[in-house]
Amino acid sequence: MRSKTRTGLVRALKKHKILYLMLLPGILWFIVYRYLPMAGVVIAFKRYSFSQGILGSPWVGLQNFRMLFQMQDFYNVVRNTLVISLYNLICGFPFPIIIALLLNEIYNKVFKRTIQTIIYLPHFLSWVVFGGIIIQLLSPNSGMINAAIKALGGEPVFFMAKSEYFRGIVVITDIIKEAGWGAIIYLAALAGIDMEQYEAAIIDGASRFQKLIYITLPGISNTIIIMLILRLGKILEVGFDQIYILSTPSVYDVGDVISTYIYRIGIVNMQFGLTTAIGLFQSAIGAVLIIATNAVARKYSDVSMW
Amino acid sequence: MKNTLPCSLRSHFAAQSHTAKALGAAFFMAYLCLGWNGVTMKKRMKITPGGMIIGALLLLMAFICLVPYYYVIVTSFSDSRLIFEGELILFPRGFTLKSYEHLMNNQRFWECFRVTVLRTLLGTAFNLVFQCVFAYPLSRRYLPGRKFFMMFIVVTMVFNGGIIPTYIVVKETGLIDSIWALIIPNLISTWNVIILRSFFENLPASMEESAKMDGANDFVVFLRIMLPLSMPVLSTITLFAAVTHWNSFMDAVIYLTSYQLQVLQVFLRDMVLQLEMASFFGDMIMPDQVSSLSLRNASIFLASIPIIVVYPFLQRFFVKGVMVGAVKG
Repeated sequence: MRSKTRTGLVRALKKHKILYLMLLPGILWFIVYRYLPMAGVVIAFKRYSFSQGILGSPWVGLQNFRMLFQMQDFYNVVRNTLVISLYNLICGFPFPIIIALLLNEIYNKVFKRTIQTIIYLPHFLSWVVFGGIIIQLLSPNSGMINAAIKALGGEPVFFMAKSEYFRGIVVITDIIKEAGWGAIIYLAALAGIDMEQYEAAIIDGASRFQKLIYITLPGISNTIIIMLILRLGKILEVGFDQIYILSTPSVYDVGDVISTYIYRIGIVNMQFGLTTAIGLFQSAIGAVLIIATNAVARKYSDVSMW
Repeated sequence: MKNTLPCSLRSHFAAQSHTAKALGAAFFMAYLCLGWNGVTMKKRMKITPGGMIIGALLLLMAFICLVPYYYVIVTSFSDSRLIFEGELILFPRGFTLKSYEHLMNNQRFWECFRVTVLRTLLGTAFNLVFQCVFAYPLSRRYLPGRKFFMMFIVVTMVFNGGIIPTYIVVKETGLIDSIWALIIPNLISTWNVIILRSFFENLPASMEESAKMDGANDFVVFLRIMLPLSMPVLSTITLFAAVTHWNSFMDAVIYLTSYQLQVLQVFLRDMVLQLEMASFFGDMIMPDQVSSLSLRNASIFLASIPIIVVYPFLQRFFVKGVMVGAVKG
């Protein structure tokens, strides 16, 4: 049996020699730049030093994790990440759906496409560009927002340096930048709804709202659930670029998230073992969440990712 | 997927009128202003109060997305002494190209610009070549082991080593502080491979068979027959890769540590940081000097020009790209 499969393998390799050769560079790349880093998480259990390398560095067991759980900073960044993520989820998640539903009600193609062109655009600007614009608008001296506050007789506010505003700014800018683009997936789902249902509803005299509740929303509910599962799996991930651009040291108490913390402590201060432990903690929570939400979704609806 | 063949052929023909479409999109706004009534009158639905509210809401959203950017452009062309604090201006005030002149004479700007252009060109080319060569064998249904290789790459979409282990691998492979650190670690995107693979899969098998009858090997079939037929998907991937490279910021921050080698986004970041600093002390606008405000906005605008230019090309692929990903992913 064994030799049979082996000759089969040899024959396949010979027959499709060129195809396998084409695969080779990609496979090697995946091994080096995707699988090696995965194996590299072992340094979470080591005291890593460059001179000794990943394999040569001494094992320290759970010491990195023990240290981690004793650090106040760690609880801070996890809390900040969670809070920003939750705000993003609660405030940000419905927006693309709402935009898609609104766009779906527009029958004028020119109008619809113009709106789409404009609201997709911020997605393609980098966070440095977009964040730079936001900082400018909120600047206490020259920003439009503060000019409006002053005109109304208020005191100018230095938004970017105030902890109490930081999370709100992060959530709102994220919505402005990504909500339009996020609507695409729902628009695609909306396009898949059978038009006959609407025609039948119109004959029955259904209102716009009734059509929304009884046809449109059920029609895209599967997509919504899938997107929600994916989103929950990323609850401990807040984008590096956005936070890095928008935060100043004076808002680190509420703004420092896992990714920026790993960068600062790991790359800048070279605490590799410790920060890899944080990364591992983050992916473990993410994996658990995605599996759990998927299980819940499968139980209460017929949607599941696998 | 039903109707795959007509669908792929249709998009193939659509690509022919590619430039025309892009031009069309670019003139959209003008068209909107001039031809608005003419277009809507013909087949207007009954305008209901509900419809008006929906339209107004969408217009508001578009306005919020557009105004900040418009403000940046207008101020970059303005004489800073004439812009009053935080004022919303519709047209450049005291039109001047001083900020741009200033920027053009800035050595640092050009260094960073050169690196960004180089990484975008090289990176996109490398992405394209490696992703296509990798995706094609995976699209051949008869290839033994195809399932295994798909699993092999899909796993990396869910699990990854994280920032630090990846950094160590990049360092150990000697890429730190070279432009290759921006290209090699993101050479292949699993997502793009899946999109390419499903496109190749849907190309007619008969062409491959007849070419093989004539003695062509797999690579020749790929190069001479499959690739020319794949222009729509190739342009999608190219454009998205180019935009990603142009905008990419985090990898430069992490992998490039020397001052000499930096990308435009980091140059911009430094300018923005100066802005935050300036907010503490108040903008000091000196007579006959380009104020930081105009200069900053000029650099923000310049750095986003390439995006604005390719944007109309990108747009026609949006839904398609997302759909393929959604169906197959």
